[in-house]
Amino acid sequence: MSTLTKQPSDFTAFEKATSRWGPITMLIGLVLSLLGPGYLIFFTDLQLSFGQIGAAYAAVASAFLVFAIVEPLTYFPILGQAAMYQAFMIGNISNKLLPAAVVAQDTIDAQPGTKKGDLAATTAISGAAMVHLLSLLIFVGFLGTWLLNFVPENILEVVRLYILPAILGAVIVQAITTVKQPRIIVIALAISLVIGLIVVPLVPVLAGFATAICVALTIIVAWLSRSKNPPKAVSHIA
Amino acid sequence: MNIANVPFLWLCALAVFVVIFIQSIIYIRAARKAAPAADMTNRELNQSLRAGAVASIGPSLAVVLVALALLTLFGTPAVLLRIGLIGSAATETASATMAAQTMGSALGDENYTAQVFAIAFIAMSISGGMWLIATLLMTPLLKRGSKKLSQVNPTVMTIIPGAALLGAFSMLTVTELPKSSVHLVTILASATTMTTLLWLAKVLNAAWLKEWAFGIAIFIGLVVAYLAHTV
Repeated sequence: MSTLTKQPSDFTAFEKATSRWGPITMLIGLVLSLLGPGYLIFFTDLQLSFGQIGAAYAAVASAFLVFAIVEPLTYFPILGQAAMYQAFMIGNISNKLLPAAVVAQDTIDAQPGTKKGDLAATTAISGAAMVHLLSLLIFVGFLGTWLLNFVPENILEVVRLYILPAILGAVIVQAITTVKQPRIIVIALAISLVIGLIVVPLVPVLAGFATAICVALTIIVAWLSRSKNPPKAVSHIA
Repeated sequence: MNIANVPFLWLCALAVFVVIFIQSIIYIRAARKAAPAADMTNRELNQSLRAGAVASIGPSLAVVLVALALLTLFGTPAVLLRIGLIGSAATETASATMAAQTMGSALGDENYTAQVFAIAFIAMSISGGMWLIATLLMTPLLKRGSKKLSQVNPTVMTIIPGAALLGAFSMLTVTELPKSSVHLVTILASATTMTTLLWLAKVLNAAWLKEWAFGIAIFIGLVVAYLAHTV
């Protein structure tokens, strides 16, 4: 593509930079997010006891702690190391960051999992992060309380209820056109339909784990059913 | 609820935003340096950045609308901190509800005092922090594992990311399908719009349409949802 490709070590530099600065920035974000609670505990006269905090967090953890562990496992195979530190700091992974990454990969025709695909995802997520920050800062931070008087209640209600299906309908189409592997598309759709329409209604406890289970099964079935012909054909000719 | 708007919380929220901004800059610069090694032109890199930004306009505005609804409960800085960092409106509301219950209160009722707000906000923050901690601890291990896997058999990287992507999104979509007829219609409207626009983009060779298709499809999906919901 270019004659500038003198140093093939360029890509390891990217991995080095992101595996250093990704965790550092994430750790700072973590500390900053806990400073506010620390301030409320130690510098206000609200008389918060650690017993109350423990009880409240235990209630929340009983519902969500397992997802804090399952979600990074679920999205790692899609995001790769570098983007993990972006995605799990910013959040809104399935409804904002991943769609942005997939749109970018489709736009420049890069496959997920390749170097080009990784770079497209990382830059797309960076672009999405800027829009995320700006929109929250302007429309929630500065104008929020004022805007609240203008946006009709029923529009807020419709957005809250149906934003996810509105996003996912478009994303699934984009994901299919990006990955372009009909065999895997069929496998993923079949497995998700079986889980969503049969397994989860029968075993409702699994509902929260449906995505993780589907990702794992799709990977396994896609791997086991991979075509072993092309390499064979090559070796025959050789 | 003055406690929800103390300047220190505003400072924390803004600092978190600055950190995410700096991280994005570091990543973009690292990607720019690495692009030639991945056979990627500068133009393609800029295209990716723009595509990601444009594609996230629709979801961002939706997140803004949902966040607005939480302002009266948590105050602006807490909403910015929780939604700006990892966390979705749904998760945070559920967390806060559960935390408030342990204090014998419900969000927004007459027992929802400054103290209940503080306890709920603290519990939400610890809970959100767990995602970051899990990511920090597991990512290096997962990286090592996937490196080994691709050394054993290089074809894994041609299969696993695509399979994981399709598995995740088809499952997320199928989960929404049976929720109500409006959910179903919304998905169909959005998917049909997307298919049509991507096809048009290809036929007309219009790269800009490829970038905007996602936002337009979300908008059409929501308009259809609004009509189906209110009629």
